[in-house]
Amino acid sequence: MVKREEIVHAANLIKIDLEDHEKYIEQVEKILNYFDILDKASPESESFVIQEMPLDKLRDDKYVPFNEKLITQLKNYKETFVKAPKMI
Amino acid sequence: MNLGITATQYLEQVKNGSLTVEEFIAKTMERIKKVEGSIHAYISLNDDAISQAKQIDKKLKAKEKVGSCLGMPISIKDNICAKGMKTTCASKMLENFVAPYDATVVSNLKSQDAIITGKTNLDEFAMGISTEFSYFGPSRNPWNADYVPGGSSGGSAVSVSALECIASLGSDTGGSVRNPASFCSVVGLKPTYGLVSRYGLISYANSIEQVGPIARTVEDTAFILNIISGIDTHDNTTIDKGKTDYTKDLDAGIDGKRIGIISEMIGEGVDKQVASATSKAISKLQSLGAKCSEISLDSVKYSVATYYTIAATEAGSNLARYDNIRYGFDFDVEGYEFNAYISKARKNFGPEVTRRMILGAFVPSAGYVGKYFLKALKVRSKIKSEIEQAFKKFDLLFAPTVPVLPFKIGEKIDDPLSLYLLDINTIVANLSGIPAISIPYEIAQGLPIGMQLFANSMQEKTLLQAAHALEKTTNLPGVPI
Amino acid sequence: MTKIGLEIHCQLTKLESKLFCSCKADYRSFETNRNICPVCIGLPGSLPLLNKKAVEKAAMIAMALGCKTPQKIAFFRKNYFYPDLPKNFQITQYNAFGPTSIGHDGKVPIEDKEIRIRRIQLEEDPGRLVYEGTSEKTQLTLVDYNRAGTPLVEIVTEPDFETPKQVRLFLNVLADLVENLGVSDPSLEGALRVDGNISIDKGNRVEIKNVGSFRDIEKALHFEITRQQSLAERGIPIPAETRHWDEARKITVSARSKEEEQDYRYFLEADIPWVLIESSVIDRLKKNMPESISSKKERYIKKYGIPLQVAEVLSSDKFYSDLFEKAYNEKNAKEIANIITTDLKGFVDTKEQREQLKLTPKHLSDLADSIMNNIITRNSGKIALQEIVKTGKPLSEIISSLDLGHVDDESSLSKVIDDVFSEEQKAVSEAKSNSDTINYLVGKVMQKTKGKANPALTLDIIKKKLDSQ
Repeated sequence: MVKREEIVHAANLIKIDLEDHEKYIEQVEKILNYFDILDKASPESESFVIQEMPLDKLRDDKYVPFNEKLITQLKNYKETFVKAPKMI
Repeated sequence: MNLGITATQYLEQVKNGSLTVEEFIAKTMERIKKVEGSIHAYISLNDDAISQAKQIDKKLKAKEKVGSCLGMPISIKDNICAKGMKTTCASKMLENFVAPYDATVVSNLKSQDAIITGKTNLDEFAMGISTEFSYFGPSRNPWNADYVPGGSSGGSAVSVSALECIASLGSDTGGSVRNPASFCSVVGLKPTYGLVSRYGLISYANSIEQVGPIARTVEDTAFILNIISGIDTHDNTTIDKGKTDYTKDLDAGIDGKRIGIISEMIGEGVDKQVASATSKAISKLQSLGAKCSEISLDSVKYSVATYYTIAATEAGSNLARYDNIRYGFDFDVEGYEFNAYISKARKNFGPEVTRRMILGAFVPSAGYVGKYFLKALKVRSKIKSEIEQAFKKFDLLFAPTVPVLPFKIGEKIDDPLSLYLLDINTIVANLSGIPAISIPYEIAQGLPIGMQLFANSMQEKTLLQAAHALEKTTNLPGVPI
Repeated sequence: MTKIGLEIHCQLTKLESKLFCSCKADYRSFETNRNICPVCIGLPGSLPLLNKKAVEKAAMIAMALGCKTPQKIAFFRKNYFYPDLPKNFQITQYNAFGPTSIGHDGKVPIEDKEIRIRRIQLEEDPGRLVYEGTSEKTQLTLVDYNRAGTPLVEIVTEPDFETPKQVRLFLNVLADLVENLGVSDPSLEGALRVDGNISIDKGNRVEIKNVGSFRDIEKALHFEITRQQSLAERGIPIPAETRHWDEARKITVSARSKEEEQDYRYFLEADIPWVLIESSVIDRLKKNMPESISSKKERYIKKYGIPLQVAEVLSSDKFYSDLFEKAYNEKNAKEIANIITTDLKGFVDTKEQREQLKLTPKHLSDLADSIMNNIITRNSGKIALQEIVKTGKPLSEIISSLDLGHVDDESSLSKVIDDVFSEEQKAVSEAKSNSDTINYLVGKVMQKTKGKANPALTLDIIKKKLDSQ
């Protein structure tokens, strides 16, 4: 059983404002209870699924400019900066 | 003009001159106008389609080289980037986003002279199983507009099924290509993880998802797979397919092939019509010479929890970038403090995405990561090795694609968990990376039922041969719309 | 007992492209947001492509710091929200499933200590925040993503430092080392950044962030030690926290402890496969690695008899040691080393001067040989050197145009000496009894001949003249 505050904390971590999103807490709790089925699974090994690649197949270190007008296709301030909300 | 022709037939007719590209495209766009009001497959359309068609006809007439698609109309799920077109993921968070580049799969199609008809509807950010979670409203099943078309690639499946294009590209993370293919009576393939580039596919769960073709026949599906598969320098997770031609030897048949029927997917919880269709399909497979026997995959019962735990974690991270600062919708930052602004902006995610974000922050968080996320990773490994073991005894695995018939729009939307559980037959393929395909098998009570085959990693040829063999035994009615 | 540990971020400025895309690694010459692409700005659908050379250069740093490099390395996501982070996660390394970062468990000797290196990891730099407007109301936060995705190597030490001075020494060694390896130019603004953590008498650890330069880290640490000691003396417990260095007021200030609330939820970056670094690759890198500073120093001392101080200065300066390597031969090595460290370094020391230097290795060897063969005096050599640096003309031309040749013949020297004797009569009488005054007279002759007089011959003639008086 997870606590309500912990679900609210998770929403804060992911920057979702839960104000008038109350019903989500209930639904998330129900889904998490279902996830507890994982406790019953007992894997034999501690290994994980991984993909591998040899060093020499990696990208070569070359400078290739992209379109220098890219900033104009994004939200921008005077076609130079991106505006962000105030940082405290 | 018959818009219901297959890709193969289309290519033949264009080649022998009985059809011009412009005629077909014009008729297709007309069809779209006619039916969209009732089924809503598309979010946006390509206004240049007809002029592009004219260009191709010109080249054909002048005997210039034209790509293998010869102007074939193809729709693209709106979570795949097409340069210069809006790519919204059916979300307000990307309402105004115009992609500045083509996804590799799109540029591959374009370089083969396919014509993009438009971007199709989906569950927001590909999270859903019914296309009811789209910011732009649901898509509807062309077999019965009161019913869901499946999801998340609902729009793609609808567009192919309703003859609004010849084929489509969807994406499959937990069944999102196969499920709507099954619900709409078309073919849908999830390729081996890494066979198709994800560059330009807007990430939801990047260790799991793949772009997959949706078409009306297995042969058409193989044709599209040829074009979109192979190593991509933009995506380091892609695998080399060598010189494989998936359309070759499609008629090889399945005589002597060992097929494992997954017992956990045919017992309890399966609608009786689906169960009966499944038995009939198994008999058909046997009559084609396959050796069918049951196999129990213990890890199936953990697969839904495993999938959603991992997918939610990856989703939470992949969707963190949507803070409406660099792109998104109109909402000025001025007057706001950073955390307040982005929390408010992100309230514009729909309910399913919101749930998964919260889950995705919770399951890898300090204090719970061992119990949920790390445990899910270990169970995923177990699922993978159980599947590998199965393919030592069998060449293919088999099960119905979805345990239930298509359901009514709105019927399950307030019970998220009940929707998650509908993925139970498709998820094992995503978690283990193996390819799987759904082919239309039967229509029951006017609603489509699809059957699913699985093959081992990189064994798409075996998979397509078996699907083609089974497909040949079916005789399905045309779409009623 | 003071314990200090460091977290250093070193940009791989010598790379051509960023860590995960092909935008330029050195962003400094670009206008705002003109060095970006879908990958480094985290556009939907973009995927990271790891830079092969970045891994190689990071491996070289790891080896140079005595670290072990694992056979497979992996990348992780560090999840948090900040406007300079386009994806709202940073792709970095993290030793979750055993050692998976590019280096671990190394050591660096400084003076009489050995500083242990806990780990080295590759990661991407975020963008930069700029503030426009002065008052609270008009202040806008603006973001420039040119730097986002620049390759960084993070070096984390054990808390082995005992004094701020040791920290400074270490940082100098590190700066010279990365420059010598050819992986980074530490003189570039922001190329080498340091955060520190410090505790006294087994108390709580305090982190110091936002320190602008190496000089400042020493000041910040001094301040912090004093602050903690004064608290301890009064019996006040020192809270574990993060403090920022206030550049203007030269003090550390408590930052909001929001940092402690961060839960980064690290997990594997699935878009980047684990990279296999075979031992053959490590061997190749080791073989092609530039000679280390300490090895050069050893060689200069042992093989060419260069004095310790000179060898130290020369070996730790990459620009000049490279010049030395191209100029020397067995015979004139010591002389060239001397010319470089005593004269040249003094008046060619800014980056601009070095880049525009007209002096070539041949100049140096010609100069050294001319001095050693007595064609010109050492003093003339200094003058010639300045002229070479200014004009780049060949030495022979300069010697003749400035008339720097030795004044070698006895008769002309004798005349000059006579002139000096008549001008310095007092000194002449003193010189008969005081040998120091003889040197004064030699100096005057040198002055008159603009340094060209052969000093040995001059001394000889002066002595003879004095004796004969």
